[in-house]
Amino acid sequence: MISYKIRFLLFFALIWNFSCQDDRDKSDFGLTYPDYFPTPHYQFGKNTLTREGFELGRALFFDPILSVDSTISCASCHSQGHAFADHNTALSTGILGKTGNRNSPAMFNLAWQPVFMWDGGINHIEVMPLAPITNEVEMGEDMLKIASKLSRNPSYSKRFQRVFGEKPIESQQIFYALAQYMSMLVSADAKYDRYRQGKESLSADEQDGLQIFRNKCASCHTEPLFTDFSLRNNGLEVLNDDLGFGRITLEEADKYKFKVPSLRNVVLTYPYMHDGRFRTLDQVLDHYSKGMVHHNNLDPLLMTNGQPGILLTHTDKVKLKAFLNTLSDYTFISNPLFSE
Amino acid sequence: MNRLNKILFFAILITAGLSSCKDDEPETKKAGEVTIEFDHVWASTESEFSLNKELTHPLLGEKMTFNIFKYYVSNVRLKAKDGSWYTMPESYFIVDADPAGSNKVVIPDVPGNEYTDVEMMFGVDSTRCTSGAQTGVLDPAKGMFWSWNSGYIMIKAEGTSPNSTSGNFTFHLGGFKGTNKVQVTKTYNFGATALVVDGDREAEIHMIANPARLWHSADKLAVKNTNTMPNTIAKTMSSTYYDAIRFDHIHN
Repeated sequence: MISYKIRFLLFFALIWNFSCQDDRDKSDFGLTYPDYFPTPHYQFGKNTLTREGFELGRALFFDPILSVDSTISCASCHSQGHAFADHNTALSTGILGKTGNRNSPAMFNLAWQPVFMWDGGINHIEVMPLAPITNEVEMGEDMLKIASKLSRNPSYSKRFQRVFGEKPIESQQIFYALAQYMSMLVSADAKYDRYRQGKESLSADEQDGLQIFRNKCASCHTEPLFTDFSLRNNGLEVLNDDLGFGRITLEEADKYKFKVPSLRNVVLTYPYMHDGRFRTLDQVLDHYSKGMVHHNNLDPLLMTNGQPGILLTHTDKVKLKAFLNTLSDYTFISNPLFSE
Repeated sequence: MNRLNKILFFAILITAGLSSCKDDEPETKKAGEVTIEFDHVWASTESEFSLNKELTHPLLGEKMTFNIFKYYVSNVRLKAKDGSWYTMPESYFIVDADPAGSNKVVIPDVPGNEYTDVEMMFGVDSTRCTSGAQTGVLDPAKGMFWSWNSGYIMIKAEGTSPNSTSGNFTFHLGGFKGTNKVQVTKTYNFGATALVVDGDREAEIHMIANPARLWHSADKLAVKNTNTMPNTIAKTMSSTYYDAIRFDHIHN
């Protein structure tokens, strides 16, 4: 019945689109999320969320037209099957086979995210794509050139006009469309969510894992988004000159601080850390229990009795991993709404 | 009822007064355009500044040829004789030494009045640095917005110098928060003569700006030829530049 209804609506929407091209889609298309999620940080503002705007953003996300030589799209390094992280590679490949020095982060629940990138340097979802688009080892393109390429493309030209009105394409429209798509990437249907909603129960190990998680991990990886969006020094050995947040603030106290990533879909998004140095969750848990090196600004939450490290027994780790597996959202990674 | 009558009485009186006085009083001034022109000069001699021309910085003793010099001016306000302020809506400009751009800030539809002061911000306010994708001169496509560290490049100065080890100099100065915040609001008084805005009557404010002042307390190019992030260098160079911008005269 429901699927019939959806099909009917889609059919209707299709006819609607063909019959009156100038009308925007005013149907109840919007950001939906569970009641235990906080209010999203991004409220769209002047960027009115519409189905057509979202779909335009989706088309741009999957289109290598955003790169200088039409080889790299956003999706090249942000793959839906990996919760929009890269295909399990530490460092992604950009134009001309170039690589940067950071791991491509997963992308979901971005409407809740106050700052972007591993170093927190970007302060708004709308201007976030400017970094990969213009970075010379990623997409290496210029916003004016993209606007001109899109204007010359009859299909895009028409779509931009339908979403933003009859005016020349400029970067704001590209950023708005991408922000609509990115904001809609809500991951909230993992086993953990169904447990929160009383639809499913956790196994004994998963339940124990959740308790351990709440005791030892949740002060940074705060539920229900599994991050508090802070930037912290988590005791990684310094392997290159990446100062993280310190590069942004130039403060000694912010050196080697990186954004706390969400642990939703964590099993799907290996390798881990800002540079993808750990291949497995075991390596990550070993790092936190016995592998951290001391920094003057090592996060105090990661210290036990004045020493770096969180006490985790082997059994704790097994149970934690069982729980972390409940954060994989298979509905999200297979949702056709987000696909090319 | 009594009160209402009184108000009505006065209203009629005032209206009558206004219409009867029409011939005696000067006509109501019409809204018009105000232009603020930035004349760029070089060093203490205030010699001619232009792009693609080799200049010598007297303090550094170094030669430099600019090929880009531009900066943001925003939030322009005009103070009228009666003390009221006219605030220009959406007031953002790139002042560009390149004739392909513009060294003028044009404020349309300024209410007809006599103005005594102009206030402006050098740089872009923190609100617009944190409000996502902007248009017009604030469009990140203008190349005046840092992709990796959100915020506007408030002054862009680039060029070549035989004294620089790389042969070039690149200064992207900005930063909108904390101790290294560079944007600053300044007010300039026109002195004895007010700026009259009245329809098509010319109303121009001439400002003098001196790019040599970027290096008033900065290292020589031989030591430091590039700075492209918010920091103390950006703060120092922009402050010495902004502080030396002065009001010169009005054309009215």
